[in-house]
Amino acid sequence: MFNQLLLNGIISGSIYALIAFGFAVIYKTVRFFHFAHGIVYTAGAYCAYSLSISLGINVILSFFLASAFSAVLGIAIDRLVYLPLRKNNASDLVFLIASFGVFIFIQNLLQLIYGAQILTLRTGVVKEGHQILGAVITNIQILILVVSCWLLVILWFIVERTKIGKAIRAVADDPIGASVSGIYSERIILYAFGIGSALAGVSGVLISYETNIEPTMGMNAILKGIIASIVGGMGSVPGAVLGGFFLGIVENLGIWKIQAGWKDTISFAVLIIFLLIRPEGIFGKRNDKERL
Amino acid sequence: MEYFLHILVISGIYIILTLSLNLIVGFTGLPSLGHIAFACVGAYTSSLLALNYGISPWIGLVIGACIASIFGFVVGFVSIRLKGDYLALATFGLGVIIYAVSKNWVELTRGPMGLPGIPGFTVPGFELRPVWAYLMLVIVFVFITAFIMNRIVNSPFGRILKSIREDELASLSIGKDIIKYKLMVFIIGAFFAGIAGSLYAHYITFIDPSSFTPMESVMVLLMVVFGGMGNTKGAFIGALVLVIFPEMLRFLGLPSSVAAPLRQMIYGLLLIILMIKRPQGIIGKYRF
Repeated sequence: MFNQLLLNGIISGSIYALIAFGFAVIYKTVRFFHFAHGIVYTAGAYCAYSLSISLGINVILSFFLASAFSAVLGIAIDRLVYLPLRKNNASDLVFLIASFGVFIFIQNLLQLIYGAQILTLRTGVVKEGHQILGAVITNIQILILVVSCWLLVILWFIVERTKIGKAIRAVADDPIGASVSGIYSERIILYAFGIGSALAGVSGVLISYETNIEPTMGMNAILKGIIASIVGGMGSVPGAVLGGFFLGIVENLGIWKIQAGWKDTISFAVLIIFLLIRPEGIFGKRNDKERL
Repeated sequence: MEYFLHILVISGIYIILTLSLNLIVGFTGLPSLGHIAFACVGAYTSSLLALNYGISPWIGLVIGACIASIFGFVVGFVSIRLKGDYLALATFGLGVIIYAVSKNWVELTRGPMGLPGIPGFTVPGFELRPVWAYLMLVIVFVFITAFIMNRIVNSPFGRILKSIREDELASLSIGKDIIKYKLMVFIIGAFFAGIAGSLYAHYITFIDPSSFTPMESVMVLLMVVFGGMGNTKGAFIGALVLVIFPEMLRFLGLPSSVAAPLRQMIYGLLLIILMIKRPQGIIGKYRF
């Protein structure tokens, strides 16, 4: 039982880590809570549904198209909503509330188009899983683990080792200093939204092979992503990834003795404990606390 | 006519919620995104007391509001250490927790099945069952709430709240115990939200967790922001306009599977436009 829960925790943790990674990259450059990240995730899943089920496009191709669509959607949200706010010098809270507005708008747009019923990307019967150390893992779950870990490594490489990543970190550390040294921060924000939103779309598509697609799925996802980022340390990308795995494991081990319905309560309890005891998160720096 | 009165009852309940959230968000500047959770606590407390122990809704209303203010104290405790969007997120999280409790503690709340058959309010010899009678009751509560809020914000206590909103450090430096004030604000706000919740429960006579989803708190915040933060009249405008206006969609003859999401889309769009064009709301005196 313990092994099974641990494995489930790692699998949901890998999805949380992907969402938190995208959220953290965006947060690094713009410094506000991009709550609508969750709806980009939902939209990615629906896009994959339309492509692979309704239009019958090849699964792998529709996977890539859906993540490209998510990237475009994320960038569009930034251009249409956040850019005017940046020009107004709006405070973080105004951004957060506008982001809630985007979330509500797109969620209900999706509900209008696809209806409120549950859809799925799975075709055919569910195959029985493999036995590993007393735990059962299905092929889809192996795929989720492999794809997400692989993506996390590649993106970690982009953020830490390439010029774009360097520019993102420069804007994160000091936006004015970065623009003085010739980094055009608007373009970096564009990259960050593109990378982060593509990741959200990928995780939305991956989870849709495992569970169902519904318009409200984004809420839970973004909350877990934000909690993972805060637990890991706001603005720290490796922290967000570790926070994601940590949250997934804690949540799944937590329901060992109590009902599964309490999962969300466990993760919010984790959030509130962290906010009260260690608001800078596991990897956050002490001076980040000034913002709190 | 019956329908129109029903809409007025619902908007009256929202006015109470908006007025009480305005005290927290608009006057004290503490972004709280979990307001509906207090209403949830108030609604469940007074319904359960009435259903399980036969306690009169009048007493249940007061007890429910008191329990809600205990939760307000807990949220206020969190607000001492957090600011800005972190506070918004933490309060939202507490809202999610309360929602999860109402959904999962099946032995107490019957979970998603909800609580049917909640008795209504009675005055000696008369049950407030007709909609017009209930509307009178709600109007009385709206005016009591508005009166108390007005007294609070125009008192020395209210001036300290505004000083906390404008500059927390400055008010600390002139010797104001801001922790105490923040706690008080959450306790008062939660108390009135609890009243609104139990008014709702005894009116609809059925409650289930879906009436108190965390997103509903965002809706109440939208009403506060729309009308104008830090303005009691603004709370009236925000709640009335945002409850009544989308009801007109009903007369376009759209099926409910279209009308419901369309209504939410209007709310979302309004929130975005408001934040870009006028973050202080229609007649607001404060912006985030």
